Amino acid sequence: MTRTLRFAGSAWLTALLLAGWEAMSRLRVLDPLFFPAPSTLLGTLRTLTVSGEIGRQVMYTLERTATGFGLGVICGVAASAVLTLSARLRRASEPLISFLYSTPRLTLLPMVMLLVGVNNTARILLVAMGTALLMMIQISDAVRAVNRDFVDMAVNYGAGRLAVIRKVYLPACLPQAFTALRLAFSRALVLTISVELLNCDDGLGSMIWNAWQTFAIEKLYVSIALAGALGLLFQWLFLQLERRMTPWKEQTA
Amino acid sequence: MSACTLRCDSLGVTYRSQAGKSMCALRELDIEVRRGEFVSVIGPSGCGKTTLLHILAGLLEPTAGSFQLFEQDGQNSRTALVFQENSLFPWMNVMENAAFGLEMRGVGKTERERRASRMLERLGLAGRERDYPRQLSTGMKQRVAVVRAFVSEAPLLLMDEPFAALDRQTRMRAQQELVELWESQRKTVVFVTHDVDEALILSDRIVVLSASPGTVLAEYRVAMERPRGFLCEPDEESYELKRRILASLGLVAELSQYSAAR
Repeated sequence: MTRTLRFAGSAWLTALLLAGWEAMSRLRVLDPLFFPAPSTLLGTLRTLTVSGEIGRQVMYTLERTATGFGLGVICGVAASAVLTLSARLRRASEPLISFLYSTPRLTLLPMVMLLVGVNNTARILLVAMGTALLMMIQISDAVRAVNRDFVDMAVNYGAGRLAVIRKVYLPACLPQAFTALRLAFSRALVLTISVELLNCDDGLGSMIWNAWQTFAIEKLYVSIALAGALGLLFQWLFLQLERRMTPWKEQTA
Repeated sequence: MSACTLRCDSLGVTYRSQAGKSMCALRELDIEVRRGEFVSVIGPSGCGKTTLLHILAGLLEPTAGSFQLFEQDGQNSRTALVFQENSLFPWMNVMENAAFGLEMRGVGKTERERRASRMLERLGLAGRERDYPRQLSTGMKQRVAVVRAFVSEAPLLLMDEPFAALDRQTRMRAQQELVELWESQRKTVVFVTHDVDEALILSDRIVVLSASPGTVLAEYRVAMERPRGFLCEPDEESYELKRRILASLGLVAELSQYSAAR
């Protein structure tokens, strides 16, 4: 019952807006050529799904996102481990990291393409870079934030270096690490779609751009909605994973 | 298994602050604790009580003087800390927390859980073994921390105001339980507090530290019979002792000056 109520509480505004859109489009308050009714778009979605185009494009996008994300997570975690161990390296790399972090990732695409060529590797590398930066900053931050009391306690009870890492640092960093994973995946997805929009022949991003170029307005809306839905879906999946892996945490809505 | 003796010889700690100024936290501290003794360390905030515990726990090196822990069988002594806050690992359930000391000593899972659960049961925590700390009240958390210290096999327990955050009733019960556990196991306890009543109820001896830099101002033997119910019916002896402790902390003098001024 409360579940239904909670769902209703977070869905009514969206439903209202969609209904308003539908009504205005049908009553031609909005030009249906530019703003086709949601019900029409549902039909387009069905057609594009049956033709297999959506499945194909989504798979291209997910493949890039997942590869870049996976690579980025590995590199980011490894880098944060190195930076945690070496204070000198941490200080030396700080300006570079800050620079890269405050530069819009997408603007680095040409540079990456100069390095590895105009190909899929460049796109994936860019996504990996975005992921790695975020993971590195978040994980280093989490490690620094571990409460000294817990380390003291473990050492006092006889924990060696390895036990302190396994029993204190790892679990203490886990919640923030999962939050970082969730954020990083959504960044990776956004970055992939942006790159596809800018320079690619397949994937959701290129589907959006092509739809715009050919003025296939219904297809445009459907692919934009899909991009958003994919983001939502993965946010939710990562949140479930996080809850399962850190059962000791206070549940926040 | 047996309790140890502890001796500090003119122990001192000088910190270097971030501004480069040196800060003296402890100075010329001499304390001796006999095997199985319950000693409270009392003093104003910032007198270095916590620093002292950190040194005894082996987490901090003294910059002057020395301290020794003796154990009967000649083994290196181990200590068990109980903090006021962050006393439990949030990511471990009650059982894992309680058995942590044994786990670090390499005791097998079944054995350590057997020992921990016996003690948990004794403190009314049966059935809560799989709960996480966030599901426990502050009183229960501190009980689990006490259980961990007692089952850890460490002969010297170091407690840093473990009951300071508890409400009065929970606190009184926790004090009683601690005394009962201590009487049945006879570990050596160094108990830091700033509550004179608490020190009087628990200890064999009370060491009063001065304000920063902390050094021993006075020592009082608490000879009253246990169990001590003198908070309900204060007798002459405990009343006088409390007055003297408060006086050495400089608190009674202030009070009498206050009444004189009126």
